[in-house]
Amino acid sequence: MSYEIREVSGAAIVALTGDVDLQTSPAVRQKLLESLDKHKRIVVDLSAVHYIDSSGVASLVEAFQISRKKGASFSLASVSAAAMRVLSLARLDKVFTIHSSVEAALAPQA
Amino acid sequence: MPQATKLSAPTAAPTPALPVRGQTDHLRLIAEMTREFTASHDYQTIAHSALERITRYIGAEAASLFLLTDNGETLACSACYGPVDITGLRISAKTGVVGRAVQTREGSMVRDVSEDADFGASVDAKTGFTTRSLLVAPLNIGQDCLGAIEIINRVDGDGLFEADDLVLLETLARAAALAINNYRLTEQIVQQERERHELELAAEIQRDLLPQPSSREFPIHGINIPARSVSGDFFDIMTLPDGRIWFNVGDVSGKGMNAALLMAKTSSLFRCLAKSAEHPGQLLNAINSELCETNSRGMFVTMVGGLFDPATGRLTLTNAGHEPPLHFDLRTERFTPIPADGPPLGIMPGIAGSDGYAVTEIDLAGGMLYVFTDGLTEATTFGGGMLGIDGARALIRDHAEESPDIRLKSISGAVKLPGQSLRDDLTLLVVEDMMTARAASMPPPRLEAMSTDGEILRLRVPARPDRLKLIRAAVEQAAKYCEATEAWTFDLTMAVDEACQNIIRHAYGNRPDAGDIVVDFIRRGDCMEVHLMDFAEPVDPSKVKSRDLSEVRPGGLGVHLIKSVCDEAQFVPPPPGIGNLFKLTKRLPSKLQ
Repeated sequence: MSYEIREVSGAAIVALTGDVDLQTSPAVRQKLLESLDKHKRIVVDLSAVHYIDSSGVASLVEAFQISRKKGASFSLASVSAAAMRVLSLARLDKVFTIHSSVEAALAPQA
Repeated sequence: MPQATKLSAPTAAPTPALPVRGQTDHLRLIAEMTREFTASHDYQTIAHSALERITRYIGAEAASLFLLTDNGETLACSACYGPVDITGLRISAKTGVVGRAVQTREGSMVRDVSEDADFGASVDAKTGFTTRSLLVAPLNIGQDCLGAIEIINRVDGDGLFEADDLVLLETLARAAALAINNYRLTEQIVQQERERHELELAAEIQRDLLPQPSSREFPIHGINIPARSVSGDFFDIMTLPDGRIWFNVGDVSGKGMNAALLMAKTSSLFRCLAKSAEHPGQLLNAINSELCETNSRGMFVTMVGGLFDPATGRLTLTNAGHEPPLHFDLRTERFTPIPADGPPLGIMPGIAGSDGYAVTEIDLAGGMLYVFTDGLTEATTFGGGMLGIDGARALIRDHAEESPDIRLKSISGAVKLPGQSLRDDLTLLVVEDMMTARAASMPPPRLEAMSTDGEILRLRVPARPDRLKLIRAAVEQAAKYCEATEAWTFDLTMAVDEACQNIIRHAYGNRPDAGDIVVDFIRRGDCMEVHLMDFAEPVDPSKVKSRDLSEVRPGGLGVHLIKSVCDEAQFVPPPPGIGNLFKLTKRLPSKLQ
């Protein structure tokens, strides 16, 4: 698993690649929380995630909850089929704001 | 003959009784005699003493007590008083003066023997004694007659008896008959008590021959419940210095003392000969030869003898006419009976043919072997019917999760009604393949398929997060082997991954290097089964719940994911040595879809 964080017009784009599992999710959680400290808008790019487990999902849920408390924006973008399968099984696909692409996530909201 | 001369001399005769005898004296005599009969168990002494009293009281020369024997055909002299000892003398119960008294149940007086045709002079001829006059009274008790008392030769007066003497003797005989009858009843009770005591001793010796209860970790356990105080069933367990374990279960034909003795003999032979035997076939051949040399009365022994190697989980088994043992596969919950291939022991030397008793090899493969006697299958259940082999299997299945010592008690307890004894002795023995004992010597898991149906692969990895990726790769390979679709594979991978996480986090409590996870992939028809085993303390399945999804919070999601994608997901009773066994079942995608 690897991750890449870039900043685009004040938003942090966190791109995850590979498997998010019990081994790697603590690092993912750490990065998400750090990004939330610095930015008001977080977009998590899940396009290259081949696998995400319940602990990875839990990290996303935790970051989402903190962002709401802080009044920050937290969304998922370009969710891979594998990640979408897990999110829908967990019935979290209706909880998260999910964009078809990072660009769509960054587009000014109507 | 010295006795003859002695007899002919009147001075040798007993002291004459008092000439005047009243009712009080009669009663006193009867009372004293009765007291003596009841006070002692030395029958000969009492009888002799009673005859002496009667003889002296009536004033006679001699007396003898005859008792019926040989189904009433013969009268045997069981006691006598007088100058000639005829104890043991046997005369016909149909003839003679005494015979007549027994047949007619009436006393008689032969005032002068020379005038009675029934008098047989043969006894006198043997003893040299001269009988002149005699009194005979039968020993009547109710409708029965036990024998008769005979009084010979009055010593005073003209030496001949009077009618009064007969009345007195008949009265005394009735008291004697009652006393003898009481004595016999008492003897019977004493004899029964003695036999009971002997049986108790035999039972104690027999219990000592059974092995001590095994410790819970030991792979072989047995239980024996006798139907009576002694049992014809037995079992034994004996560990060799190299760690291999001999075991047997046997059943001796018949019950009671003889069966117990044959059991003790067979059991000793097993212990003694097992030390030098190479396999159970050879051992049972040797026991058969020994038993045939000395066994009698058509008794025989059925036996299952085996040699188990805990290091490999394999055993060799020989069955001499015994109930077929059952191999129980914990994973499939299937039973395989191991049939009886040889005749019982102790019937004929070399009965098993020129090759001797055959040996079957069994790989327990983490399962168990149950050996039992027909006391289990033929036991009456609470419902009233016979348990049968299906009932026995159901009981074994029902109690599979219990530790072996408890399990054997549960199974035998299910057929032994409280407060009632069993119809037959019951013996049950279980051999368990303890996987933990073998873990160290287990070959590394090989990532290759073994057959289209059955085990696909087994994986044993340390329970650590950094091994989850390996486990997922294994799931993918196993699914690929079954030609599963990508979506199907993804779901199963996720389920197995989540289950392993639970083992790492909950069973092992996130402790690094706390233990291993064993994952078995099994193809069964159109289903894939994944068995996840750990070596941790048992987890309470009721505490492992899927979370309420309406609540958005981290954690608790794993079980929900597993249940969402699997057809079945549950904890099942683990085999011995395994902490928890979590079983996932997922139907393979149909090829048509």
